Amino acid sequence: MVDVLVLGAMQSAVYALLALGFTLIVGVGRLVNLAHGAFYAIGAYAAYTLVVVWKVPLLLGAAAAVLFTGVVGVGVERILIRPVRTSVMAVLILTLVFALLTEQLLYAAYGYTSRNIPAFTTATLQLFGVSVPGQRVVTFGVAAILVAALWVYVYHTPAGTAILAVAQDREAALYMGIDVDRVTRVTTGASAALAGAAGVLTSPLLVVSPHMWLLPLVKSFAIVILGGLGSIPGSLLASLVVGYAETAVSYFLTSALADLVPLLLILGMLLVRPTGLLGRHLEA
Amino acid sequence: MRFAATGLALAFCLAAALTVLPPGVAQGSVVKVGAPGPLQLGVGQGILYGLQLAAGEINARGGILGRKLTVIPEDEAETPEVGIAAIRKLLEQDKVDVLIGGQTSGVTLAQLPHIARARVIYLGVGAASPLITEHVRRDYNTYKYIFRVSPLNSTYLGIGLADFLDEFVRGELKLTRIAILGENLIWVQGVLPALERRLAEKRGLEIVYKELFDVRITDFSPIFTKIRSSGAQFLVPIVSHASSDVMAKAFASLRMPIPWGGIDVKSQEGDHCEKLGGAPIGQIVLFGTPPLRVPLTPKTIPFFDKYVEKFRREPVYTSFGAYDALYIYKEAVERARSFDPERVIPQLERTNYIGTGARIAFDEAHDLRYGPGYARLHYVQWQDGCRRALIWPKEVATGRYVALPWMR
Repeated sequence: MVDVLVLGAMQSAVYALLALGFTLIVGVGRLVNLAHGAFYAIGAYAAYTLVVVWKVPLLLGAAAAVLFTGVVGVGVERILIRPVRTSVMAVLILTLVFALLTEQLLYAAYGYTSRNIPAFTTATLQLFGVSVPGQRVVTFGVAAILVAALWVYVYHTPAGTAILAVAQDREAALYMGIDVDRVTRVTTGASAALAGAAGVLTSPLLVVSPHMWLLPLVKSFAIVILGGLGSIPGSLLASLVVGYAETAVSYFLTSALADLVPLLLILGMLLVRPTGLLGRHLEA
Repeated sequence: MRFAATGLALAFCLAAALTVLPPGVAQGSVVKVGAPGPLQLGVGQGILYGLQLAAGEINARGGILGRKLTVIPEDEAETPEVGIAAIRKLLEQDKVDVLIGGQTSGVTLAQLPHIARARVIYLGVGAASPLITEHVRRDYNTYKYIFRVSPLNSTYLGIGLADFLDEFVRGELKLTRIAILGENLIWVQGVLPALERRLAEKRGLEIVYKELFDVRITDFSPIFTKIRSSGAQFLVPIVSHASSDVMAKAFASLRMPIPWGGIDVKSQEGDHCEKLGGAPIGQIVLFGTPPLRVPLTPKTIPFFDKYVEKFRREPVYTSFGAYDALYIYKEAVERARSFDPERVIPQLERTNYIGTGARIAFDEAHDLRYGPGYARLHYVQWQDGCRRALIWPKEVATGRYVALPWMR
């Protein structure tokens, strides 16, 4: 049982990192941004290029990769999303095209061979008697810091208040003098940076490959729907639910069923409580 | 008058020769060799490179019955729908004379009806499911075009793996409790029953853990945690399509306290260890023909050297298979003196060819023969510094087994 508690926490942290960025953009920007998985891949490839190809020190390269992904996110918002933001369908299509284009560009630039990013640590730690790769502990720690920082930023700073105001009522925020475009831009950049951070932190445990964007996007979707669209506490809770449920199914039943878990949870949630765990109705 | 008679005689002889020579000789057209495979992967590229090397050599010596060869690759992307599209393109659009390739059993099985309908010879070099050649056994007239040049089918892989576990793991390492971790795919379902049956016959080894996992899995921590607490002393992975990079990383980062070895196709690639950042993985990998410069037959080292010189990388198992397959086809066509599949197939059935890794012959189901004098299995270990050593069978070993760094 302790095994599941420890391993589930590690997995949940990764999901929280992924889903928080997605929930920000859905809740604040009212945008279903299908480029979110692409940002995850861009972060990983940027780190690979900086650290492995250009031999930049790991920490510096990782930070630069996250920053770069945030800048790409801002660019996507400015160039692709803003001109069509009133059309949900156009945003969906354009961001999906961006994700597919990113995949093809990565294929062209790096080939089909999977790549490796060195781990931040190769140590193995014992947590409550459970062996955990040091890299997973680093990922957990950084995820916890980023989540806490995001929480403080959104709920305890004037800029965060503006974000919440835009999330609550975009038009009212506009009338109150809030620069809605700027808030959306900052939110998209932060969302992309969080996805990039997830890519940088998890890639040493996985591999870097051009099609790596899809699964994180699906998982982010599942968590955000489960937690309630636009709810940061809801996404955190859903990350824990999905992370622990997958780990428990893998541990007690079989890993072959682990990927079914988020889908079943979404299905159940949509049937029982369509607004999600802590969600509210979104108005167009 | 005398010159005229001689000229007439020569003309007659030439005409007679043209009537008895197969159409291809007279036409002088190219022989199209279709190469279906997962071309984005090392094993797929191995098919293509093996064929290109053989075709280049054969063309340099005049081709097959005077016809030059051209290799037409087509990506089957490890999915049945793409695989069917690839095979139909090769058959219907390119109108290939022979197909040499394949790597994913599920894809090859989906392609079989199309190949049989087109009546084109297919020499498989990558897929291991016994169901592929079982088609030949069950319905010879329809599926007689299908042969497997490599690898050994998964039943033989299971038997051979069990023998290795008994002789090396139990006999040499003195370990008796094993865990089996396989991907949940059709070819593994061929390996497992044979492996378990053989282990039951051997009686010295106990399977204490067994799991078939989804190939898309990215978190191996729960599985390895379970294996660790199962009391297993040796881990046997059986994977080909899953991300073995991720599995190996998890194994190394958790410092799993048990040695491991089995079937792991992606870890057969020469850059596998480098892709993992040089992590010490200590994995023992089963090979039909190990990608090492070891003289298994008189052709192994010449092939190895030519391959490395031409492609700047080491061959994988499909490279050996594809290279041999094209030569086997060449010899069968030359014996048949025809490219007509109906005449080439009986000649292919009589194949007794010393390949790059072993003597190659086919059984009544057109499957690669296994056993003394024919193809056998070899075990290579990834050792420190990303070096590889052939550790089993002993008589061809190039090095000794080395314990995992954290267990020394």
